Amino acid sequence: MVDNVGGSSSNAENSGIREQDRLLPIANVGRIMKQILPPNAKISKESKETMQECVSEFISFVTSEASEKCRKERRKTVNGDDICWALGSLGFDDYAEPLRRYLQRYRELEVDRGNSPPKRE
Amino acid sequence: MLLLLLQFLQLSFILPMAMQTVYLKKHEGNAHNFVGTLSSAASAPWWSAFGSQSVHQGESCGQMKPFALELPNCIDQLAATKLSARGAEQVLGEGHTTQFTIFPDGCKMSDDAQKLQTTISLQSSLTDPHSRFEIGFSQPMLCAKYPYTDQFYGLFSAYAPQISGRIMLPLNMSSDDGPIYVNAKQYHGIIRRRQSRAKAVLDHKLTKRCKPYMHESRHLHAMRRPRGSGGRFLNTRSSINGNGKLGNEVHKTVGEQLQSSDSQSSEFLQSEVGTLNSSKETNGSSPNISGSEVTSMYSRGGLDSFSLNHLGSAVHSFANMIDGGRGMIIPPKWVAAAGNCYNLKV
Repeated sequence: MVDNVGGSSSNAENSGIREQDRLLPIANVGRIMKQILPPNAKISKESKETMQECVSEFISFVTSEASEKCRKERRKTVNGDDICWALGSLGFDDYAEPLRRYLQRYRELEVDRGNSPPKRE
Repeated sequence: MLLLLLQFLQLSFILPMAMQTVYLKKHEGNAHNFVGTLSSAASAPWWSAFGSQSVHQGESCGQMKPFALELPNCIDQLAATKLSARGAEQVLGEGHTTQFTIFPDGCKMSDDAQKLQTTISLQSSLTDPHSRFEIGFSQPMLCAKYPYTDQFYGLFSAYAPQISGRIMLPLNMSSDDGPIYVNAKQYHGIIRRRQSRAKAVLDHKLTKRCKPYMHESRHLHAMRRPRGSGGRFLNTRSSINGNGKLGNEVHKTVGEQLQSSDSQSSEFLQSEVGTLNSSKETNGSSPNISGSEVTSMYSRGGLDSFSLNHLGSAVHSFANMIDGGRGMIIPPKWVAAAGNCYNLKV
């Protein structure tokens, strides 16, 4: 199933950051926004685009903080613990604690399935 | 860009301010020059804002600049923290919450020699720090009951930023709305993100000039295809009406529906011809959009309304055309706005 509606495939030859690489797919953003709203609610295109910019920047913000920690410790792989630490160091402690519990359950589920990645629901 | 900063401001205000800034101390140790420029640049508006506390701000700026003195200051702060924390624990049994306001004030006012004496004298009097905070700070202080370790770290976070955990961003980027104060924990991250965003904009402009197409082989194939008057490809009708109709359902962009085999390279080439051709393509392919949307809705089983998906895919197709043809002219921030302009013309 192709999630990115209207987007084109990325290519290794074309290096650099483009529009569809910098932002999340807007259909997925709209679908996540719809989950919290009543069934008959409407979401304008401007709202989706604004939220698309905000969440994409937030992901880059947290990831760069985690990447900076990995650079100092001379590690190349950013793992889940680094993301939890980055949320805590940036002041988002209320988000870091639920994410740690999610990460713990995710790892338990991964061990139960014999190191195969679990399917998304 | 300012919208994102305000978004972070709202998030940082809503969340409770838990203080865990030992890592902030490590940041300051590694990038001491940043802290020096910070205190020198930001001290002038603070003096104008707080007339009664200008002497203390000068003292704290003097303390921060030499790097060798920071280590004994940390040691003295450890001793002062233990004494003040024990005193706070004793008072907490009585139910007072004013005791917590002594911590940042004690850190700012005390000297190296008189550090212990001033903290003891501040603990004895409860009303004076409260009145000082009312005069000095316009923002309300978030006072809460912290465990012992959080009190220990709280003094470090209150000492460095000098105003209740807020650091002012540089004025060159935020001069339109005046100075913007952000969470001290997020300051370095915001500066790092600004630099990487500026670098990404430059990289985006460079790559757009070099490559107007995405795949070399598709570009070569499109160059070999016969073209009619006006530069459009020949025999596009027969490929859509024949076996290509099933193949079109797999693809979901406008350009790929017109030419099933070499969609992206030909889409870029046709968009360079002019605005009329792109508007013609949009008019000609609009029934195909609705057909593909109905198919994708049924296969996905989604509850999305039809009109929103239709407009969303149209904007994406406009964005692809504009990125291909006019990447040099339009900055990436305004791609959505330019897509709206094309939508108005149609």
